[in-house]
Amino acid sequence: MAAGIKAYLPRLAVILAIAAFPLIPGVPEFWVTLGGYIGLSSLVAVGLVLLTGVGGMTSFGQAAFVGFGAYTTAVLTTKFGFSPWATLPFALLSTGLMALLIGVVTAKLSGHYLPLGTIAWGISFFYLFGNIEALGRYDGISGLPPFSIAGHALIDARVIFYPIWIAVLIAVVLSENLLDSRMGRALRALRGGSIAAESFGVDTARAKLAVFVYAALLAGVSGWLYAHVQRSVSPSPFGIGPGIEYLLMAVLGGSGYVVGGVLGAGIVTVLKDQLQNILPKLIGTGGNFESIVFGILMVATLQLAREGLWPFILRLLPKTADKIIDAAAVPLEHRTPPERGQPLLVVDRARKTFGGLVAVNDVSFTINGGEIVGVIGPNGAGKSTLFNLLTGVLEASAGEIRYRGERLDGLPARGIAQRGIARTFQHVKLVASMTVLENVAIGAHLRTRPGVIASMLRLDRREEARMIAEAARQLQRVGLGEHMHKPAGSLALGQQRIAEIARALCLDPALLLLDEPAAGLRFAEKQQLADLLSRLRAEGMTILLVEHDMDFVMRLTDHIVVLVFGTKIAEGTPDAIATNPQVLEAYLGGVE
Amino acid sequence: MNSTIALFLAQDGIINGAIYALVGVTLVLVFAVTRVIFVPQGEFIAWAALTVAALEAGTVPGTAWLLMVLGVSAAVLDCLRAGRDLTLREVGTMAIRDIAMPALLLGAVIWLAPLKPGLAFNMVLTLGLLVPMGPLIYRMAFQPLADASVLTLLIASIGVHFALVGLGLVFFGAEGVRTEPLLGGSFAAGPLMVKWQSIAVLVATLLVMLGLYGLFDRTMLGKALRATAINRLGARLVGIPVASTGRIAFALAAIIGAVSGILIGPVTTIYYDSGFLIGLKGFVAAIIAGLTSYPLTALAALFVGLLESYSAFFASAFKEVIVFSIIIPVLLWRSLASGPHHDDDEEV
Amino acid sequence: MSRKINVLLSAAVWAFTASAASAQIKVGITVSQTGPAAALGIPQKNTVAQLPKEIAGQTIEYTVLDDATDPTKAVANARKMISENKIDILIGSSATPATVALVDVAAETKTPYCAMVPTKAVIFPMDDKRKWVFKAPQNDAIMAEALADHMAAAGIKTVSFLGYTDGYGQGWLDEVNESFPKKGIKIVAVERFQRTDTSVTAQALKVLSPSPDAVLVVASGTVAVLPHKTLREQGFTKPIYQTHGISTMEFVRVGGKDVEGTIFPAGPVVIANLLPDSHPSKAAGLAYIKQYEENNKTPFAGFGAHLADCATLMLAGVKPALAKAKPGTDEFRAALRDAVETSKDVVAAHGVYSFSPTDHAGLDKRARVLIKVEGGKWTLVPEPQ
Repeated sequence: MAAGIKAYLPRLAVILAIAAFPLIPGVPEFWVTLGGYIGLSSLVAVGLVLLTGVGGMTSFGQAAFVGFGAYTTAVLTTKFGFSPWATLPFALLSTGLMALLIGVVTAKLSGHYLPLGTIAWGISFFYLFGNIEALGRYDGISGLPPFSIAGHALIDARVIFYPIWIAVLIAVVLSENLLDSRMGRALRALRGGSIAAESFGVDTARAKLAVFVYAALLAGVSGWLYAHVQRSVSPSPFGIGPGIEYLLMAVLGGSGYVVGGVLGAGIVTVLKDQLQNILPKLIGTGGNFESIVFGILMVATLQLAREGLWPFILRLLPKTADKIIDAAAVPLEHRTPPERGQPLLVVDRARKTFGGLVAVNDVSFTINGGEIVGVIGPNGAGKSTLFNLLTGVLEASAGEIRYRGERLDGLPARGIAQRGIARTFQHVKLVASMTVLENVAIGAHLRTRPGVIASMLRLDRREEARMIAEAARQLQRVGLGEHMHKPAGSLALGQQRIAEIARALCLDPALLLLDEPAAGLRFAEKQQLADLLSRLRAEGMTILLVEHDMDFVMRLTDHIVVLVFGTKIAEGTPDAIATNPQVLEAYLGGVE
Repeated sequence: MNSTIALFLAQDGIINGAIYALVGVTLVLVFAVTRVIFVPQGEFIAWAALTVAALEAGTVPGTAWLLMVLGVSAAVLDCLRAGRDLTLREVGTMAIRDIAMPALLLGAVIWLAPLKPGLAFNMVLTLGLLVPMGPLIYRMAFQPLADASVLTLLIASIGVHFALVGLGLVFFGAEGVRTEPLLGGSFAAGPLMVKWQSIAVLVATLLVMLGLYGLFDRTMLGKALRATAINRLGARLVGIPVASTGRIAFALAAIIGAVSGILIGPVTTIYYDSGFLIGLKGFVAAIIAGLTSYPLTALAALFVGLLESYSAFFASAFKEVIVFSIIIPVLLWRSLASGPHHDDDEEV
Repeated sequence: MSRKINVLLSAAVWAFTASAASAQIKVGITVSQTGPAAALGIPQKNTVAQLPKEIAGQTIEYTVLDDATDPTKAVANARKMISENKIDILIGSSATPATVALVDVAAETKTPYCAMVPTKAVIFPMDDKRKWVFKAPQNDAIMAEALADHMAAAGIKTVSFLGYTDGYGQGWLDEVNESFPKKGIKIVAVERFQRTDTSVTAQALKVLSPSPDAVLVVASGTVAVLPHKTLREQGFTKPIYQTHGISTMEFVRVGGKDVEGTIFPAGPVVIANLLPDSHPSKAAGLAYIKQYEENNKTPFAGFGAHLADCATLMLAGVKPALAKAKPGTDEFRAALRDAVETSKDVVAAHGVYSFSPTDHAGLDKRARVLIKVEGGKWTLVPEPQ
């Protein structure tokens, strides 16, 4: 426990320093005012960190959400006489609803289409705010009341500083809580593409939407505060220019780190103020130098420190404590394992065509409980396509795939995971910046329930402990126990493949699908992998592996299916396959 | 709305659409070769118009100084990046290309501008000043990021836009300009008064499109660009210098941008920051066409121009909202069409 | 993280202290040197160098900051100058949203404040907050009445309105709706456009469809050229009126022969050289122009003179206020405000100011003239009597 407190000490010191800042005698009032602005921007930047750095979605349009919060409270306080405090729920509601609406349409966009979409609606909302009569058109709404407590107006910069920074503190804590939870890990997995997350049961579309709405809500809170600090609102702070500035804050500070958002907001705000003091002295004339400097800074950050500046500071701080593994946590429930020797997965004339090309040609085979089945074939034999059919990445053109009597074909990857089928990837899909333990815990996503809100409020700790304990147990099981606290990116390829197996085991699968597990491994690593798979079979696991390496498959499997040009040419025990003339022809005399 | 008004609006929309088409096609070109979504393309347009205007007024355009600044910065940056590996030959190239050439141009402009040498000369000079800027910007901002994701390049591109608009204000000031038409006057076509300048815009746009077609279809350079567009690694393996194709793509972008600027200068008032909205509308067109097809982009640009023109008539205040909102359903459709399992390994 | 900021902040101390030279009266100015209102903010910034350096034996120090046409930045600038520089007088900004936002800051910190936009809402209705605000530019009403008189005398019965979507357009539209019908002039079409529009053909077609006797374009600077040219291109040959937003020669430079014959109201400074010698603002106007063009080597613009006027009318309160308190104190600022509010017949470039507790605009008909563009120059139009 002491280690835990020690890790929190720097944070506590920073919080105290911020809290004391306005009280220090001699600190000029304007610095405190700037501090307030930093806080307001931090809220938006923290949201962007979650969206961009963690969820892999980039938005240039966050300023529009600041606008929703600001305009909501502006209208309610000036036209309907609400107290500024009372409008927070409405500001959140309107921002949240708009985000949900926009998010349903745009959060699904893949790759660079999403940021392009955000530019489009970022601009649209600027013109919309500027043309609506009730919002005062381009001149906006003025004369907003300040916040007040018991009749005292919170106008003084040294006073208003506190509500702003309390909001920032809450945002940072909630965001960090979220990242360190079941949903947070699911979000972080999004950055590596959605297939991996989907195959462990993460509803990626929903996760994206959730983080999109959350980021928007933080922006909305910032807008709500801003409106009553500024006491007037007009469209220009909510256009695309400020939207880009918020993104600059996130990128500069470090888009992968919650605190990076605060750091970025601080640097950009202070820089903005100082540039107008210093530049005219250096160059001797006023001008749009601020945007020149910001533009160059943005490009330079991407070129020189793509992770932003926070990692440089992180190196100076004491290492955060390893995640605590609670051995006493109640183990997660197990599903009943399939009966040994009974058909578990039946592939019945599965077919996949791409245009005129038949990639998988009416392939049939059966996997029985407790066996290791290998699918082999030369390059282009259709192994990967077959694997994709089994895992729900592709949909079969014809035929059936039945698992415990239930049809699998047509189910999405998530549905297949729910039924207890786990997989690994040919190209390892671990989140390099997360620890091995956290990566593996994603595998247990479907076995616990805590959602976004419970995670933020830390109501998930009991379930969280169970998940982490399970992940640790699986890592021990595969022999990676000593590496569990290292970043996944630091492991060797062989270890990464094993970690993927541990992650798959976390799903508590009845069937394990391995996509070329031995590819790229050294001899000793292959040996270890083979040992592990044999051990798992001994413990009752059923395994299907698609593999290139004949030796590996021959040694390990109970049953082999041979594909050539999408067609099954042979099936049987390793011994039978090794002497099958057709297989020999295909492998030795034919293609390769 | 009667048919005459409808025709007028159509004319207006087509002329603007032609300019957007030039922008859109350029964005497709640059994206294909370098994967950069080149948001600052609009800046070339505004700068070209401002340069022509300054030359018409007999003053030294800001672009002449700007080119000098960009040239020197690029040379300095390249020296810093290369450090000790720099050969004497490279230093020589840079000294000539990045410092001596802009200085020479600057001198020429200072000498010639007060003489008001006339329209044709102004256009040549404008092209001479703007075209080198394309490769210079590529070298400074994008070449070091050549292996980054589309997303990273997009953010960098926005940063470049920020910096360029700021530079625009410094070098050109806040006031707008309008240049002399290439072809003055107008003629009657039925109920419609058609300006000769409009015809000039359309003809020039068609010529640029044909030129691009010829370049890509008929020349070795075009084939190299296309090869890079299809497969960067493959292009590198067969010996196409990928970095120089990037520079060429940016030079082409600057040429088309300068031509667009010369064309639009007489049609509307251009300010240092006018490029952004023009650029973004071309960009809407390019996105509708999926950032891949040139003819589709041109068609989409016409559509954007017409949509803008008609929506200005029916709901002038919400014109921009309408134009920029159409991109969202298109994006959604594109995104869904690219498949639910389109795996995007994007890293910022 | 805070360590990082602290390093930056302490680096900043130098910058703060360096600028705090000691002067007796301090004036803080925030203008939009960049952003959409830069065309207004730049001539204003260029005017600072010619503001008086001394009054009533007190030296005056001016601090000028750029707010990039961003209200947030304008407010930050004002707060910075109020708390860091301890200014006695605040002046700014170039566009309405920023100016409106400054009203609250001025009232909260009890700093006498001079606004440089014509927007009526800045000083009307007069209340506890707005009593700290004085406005230099003419109310749109004065200008609109001048146009209405001229139109009525020219026999114009129907007018179409083609104006900005922003506050400038809205302010004019309100005044036009108020004063034109009184002279029997009907508004037959109202269309709006944006500063950034590259084409206003659609709007032009719409305002021309009821065949008006004249069109009023409400825009500023060179932006006003596009609608003007578009109207002419559509074959409209009847009069086009503009507003004082175009009172810069840049308009004529960019507009060329298409803007010949344009009639617009403006402050007297715009055409100071042609004013009759009897006009009270002639001398002040000429002096302003001469100094501006000497300092900056560019033609002056009417917007710049608003800053000079702000300085003139606010500094007029210094002498009486000095009798009551020392500069840099709350008392001085309050006394300054009171003194400005009661000042009478302060002659400035744009007119003659006489304030009262209910009127913080303080201008009368002497603050406007009608100008016609003829032969690429401005000429004075005698007002109909």
